[in-house]
Amino acid sequence: MLKTSLVIFLLLFNSVFCIKQAAEEFEENLSLKSLRDGRVTSSFSFKTLLRDAAPRDPRTLALDNDDSQHYTLFPLTLGQILRQYAITELHLTLNAGKWNYESWGYPDESGVGVGAELWAWMADGSPSSIDERWQGLRNALAGLFCASLGSLDEQRTTSPRQSFPPQGDLPDWGLPHELRHASHASEHVCTENLTPFLKLLPCKSLSGLATLLNPHRIFDADWHGIGLHVLWLPEGVEVRLNVQLVSDPLRISSTNKQDWSFHSLFDRKVDQACPIAKTSRVAVELPSSGFYRVHPEPLEIKDGQAYYNLKIANEAWNIGTMWPTDFEYPLSKPNQALVPFSVQRSLRGSTQDRGELSIVVTNHQQNTLQLRYLETMPWIIQFYLHTIRVHSDGVLKNDLISNISYVLPVAHSRPATFESILTLPGGSNLTFTMNVAKAFLRYTEHPPDAQRGWDLPPAVFTPLLQSRDDSIGRIYTPSLLVDLATPDFSMPYNVIMFTCSVVAFIFGSVFNVLTRKFVVVRLEPTEIQDN
Amino acid sequence: MAVSEWDEKVSMKVEFFATLLFISRSITSVSLSYLTSSAKISFRQLCTLAWTYLRLMHWLEYGRHGNGNKTLSSESTESKSSLLIIIYTLNPLIILPSLARSTSSVDNAVLLTAICLACEWSTSEVASPAHKETEVSSPSLTDKVDQATPPFALGALFFLALRTHLSIDALILVPPMFMLIFSSPASRLRRPGPFKYAQKYDRPYSFLRQDFVEISLFHITMDGTCCVSFYFRASVIPLMRLSRYLFDFLIQKTNSLTLPSLTPNPGVWWYFFTEMFDHFRPFFLMVFSLHLLLYVAPICIKFQHDPLYSIFILIGILATLKPYPTLSDHGLFVGMWVVMSEVHPYLRHPLPTLLTLLHSSLLQPLFAHLWLTHGTGNANFYYASTLVGACAGGLGIVDSIWAGLRIAVEKGRVETKPWRKRRLSRNNNLEMCM
Repeated sequence: MLKTSLVIFLLLFNSVFCIKQAAEEFEENLSLKSLRDGRVTSSFSFKTLLRDAAPRDPRTLALDNDDSQHYTLFPLTLGQILRQYAITELHLTLNAGKWNYESWGYPDESGVGVGAELWAWMADGSPSSIDERWQGLRNALAGLFCASLGSLDEQRTTSPRQSFPPQGDLPDWGLPHELRHASHASEHVCTENLTPFLKLLPCKSLSGLATLLNPHRIFDADWHGIGLHVLWLPEGVEVRLNVQLVSDPLRISSTNKQDWSFHSLFDRKVDQACPIAKTSRVAVELPSSGFYRVHPEPLEIKDGQAYYNLKIANEAWNIGTMWPTDFEYPLSKPNQALVPFSVQRSLRGSTQDRGELSIVVTNHQQNTLQLRYLETMPWIIQFYLHTIRVHSDGVLKNDLISNISYVLPVAHSRPATFESILTLPGGSNLTFTMNVAKAFLRYTEHPPDAQRGWDLPPAVFTPLLQSRDDSIGRIYTPSLLVDLATPDFSMPYNVIMFTCSVVAFIFGSVFNVLTRKFVVVRLEPTEIQDN
Repeated sequence: MAVSEWDEKVSMKVEFFATLLFISRSITSVSLSYLTSSAKISFRQLCTLAWTYLRLMHWLEYGRHGNGNKTLSSESTESKSSLLIIIYTLNPLIILPSLARSTSSVDNAVLLTAICLACEWSTSEVASPAHKETEVSSPSLTDKVDQATPPFALGALFFLALRTHLSIDALILVPPMFMLIFSSPASRLRRPGPFKYAQKYDRPYSFLRQDFVEISLFHITMDGTCCVSFYFRASVIPLMRLSRYLFDFLIQKTNSLTLPSLTPNPGVWWYFFTEMFDHFRPFFLMVFSLHLLLYVAPICIKFQHDPLYSIFILIGILATLKPYPTLSDHGLFVGMWVVMSEVHPYLRHPLPTLLTLLHSSLLQPLFAHLWLTHGTGNANFYYASTLVGACAGGLGIVDSIWAGLRIAVEKGRVETKPWRKRRLSRNNNLEMCM
């Protein structure tokens, strides 16, 4: 009797325990591709899926306690941050370098803006405002990643809803969701950001594809970036950590060959796949022309990609591609452009009080293309919207720009948000110019290296697609450097002295004359003759 | 009178010259803008012409209707007003802002209209004691209209309120404007004394009953909507919610006192607050704003016998010490300085003042170009030239105050050659000293 009741009790206990524990899955993925100019782009993607989980309703933030969360694979620190501020969707990228769209094509993850970029969708309805939660999120992520994300304050935060739509789903709580986006173009990424990043992985960097993440090689690459994406999918909450880099094997090879392998790129090999990963795959894009050899033998080849499954054999994996001949740099342009349009942005003008913002967009296709152009400019650059001129192949055509939406900048507190839709006829060159004025900052607002200038965040171009082709994503322009007029930093005391002296002189003289009493004095005649 | 002889000599030529200059300046401004923008005459340029014409007509009116500095014959008033027109029109500190299509020209126009209307009001009633009884018996405004005396005082206050809306610093001109309305713009610098109401206000009770109530109520209504809106700003009733927006709108007007923009201008505030540490900023902002207010009472009290002169001095103080001065503020001060011609013999150092102003005006664009465009200069260069400009303004203010007080001591003395050194006559044993 006691035994059966104990067995029943244990079964119930286990079943209750099983119901409480959600299923978590971890997948890791690496895709490698050789580019035309001899470089290799590698894109690591680590996905943790928390099944049947949902973002926290912000109305529950009023209650101080939350349901206890038990994770095995899902990173606990990140989960705590997400629930503390009731974040529905989060994207954070830390990149360095300029992504060359014409030579390298589209990246696997579209967030390649230089510096730090953080954007999040949050629902309203909690006792604290969205801006307060946004600030808490920034500070928490700054602590988690050892990055100075706390400087993404209100002077860099905008809300461009059209250009950054949610990539996952938004829960249907009947509450309005708002976007907060901030970017800091002069933020650097280095090892101290990578280390806490790797700590969010279940296997850390001990096994699996994360063993390839050698900081010496990652931060030596021509372009490198790490990213964190949290989405809500129908299956549950997904956290995706990705590392992208563009390495140059020609630079480190002694011979003039573009051969690459794990050992040559990362100076490491994958000894063991992550035991708890559901899948651990490597995809190598096979070059379209020429003689080459991919080693070891791939598991399957499909659609021009060679797939490897690292969980099959427990040997040290050193995947690579070899070419028999030396590399020849292609001097001619490719027949078909890798991206449908390319953008160049520059800030013209040699004076320190005004300039001209100039965007040149080239449409490589033959059909008309519509782009949404987003500019989140700090308040130090003030736009003159009435000077917008759009030239198509040299001819002034101001009707090619439409749907201009502009949020005014507020000095010392809010950047300008400028969104418009540009229409590019097939095969044409569109030039957009606008006069801007540069602001004058206070003594304490200038950074310590004031003569370097200020980094302006990249502009974002999003194609508006007629068809449901989701392969084309956002394009980021490089950041700009603007030189602002500086006061003389050695002279605060002198300036205050001079100005106060002049003002006191005026004050004193005025009141001196005002309070004088004019008196007529009679002089003796002899004194006049002496004078 | 020697001055009137001089006036008559050039009166005809002055008229012709004035119109010629006006036409030529309009053509110059239009052609310059045509060259630079390569566009046909646009609405903007027509506005520029309209502004200059407006200012000119106001100035003409102002000069003709006698700011009353002297009791002159009508011809000399005509030619004197033409001289005023020429000097005001030729003043580069007035030409340049209107060429740049700056709104400071509009500010000037509005202020001059207010002063002009206040003078009209005062001078229209001075020599008509017959109206006094009818005024007492019929206190309504419409009766005044029937008597062909339009409500210039209300117009003056309306334009002054408009000027205050355009730039909050003009608030310091409100007390002397009130004093001007209640007294006469005729120059009484030679006869200083306590503040005298104009003849029409000889009976103080009538004054309290009618004009004061109407005039001040009007002015309070214009700027006093903030009082109403202050009380109702948190209201949810839609009609009262308008008050909240009005309150916010009016509070925004004082934003310029917190100096949000540090763009270089020919004033003393911008570099001072550029180099200021944040800890001390509120204190010094308060000090500078109060400093402006400190001048109002002493000058109005000292010049209570001639409120037009106190307006003139306060305009000079505004030009030098306001948060965002423009060239046309200095231009207005120079223009009014020409109007007050009876104090010219008593100025101690007019030439150094003008030369300092010239020095600063020529150097400011040069140093701004060197700093911002050329990149070879420093911010300190331009700052030094603005300091010199502030010195020039200070010299002008102090000299004007001195001359305004000095003129009272020498009674009935006529200067034959105003710009030469004064010679003491042997028969006169008086010498002025402090």
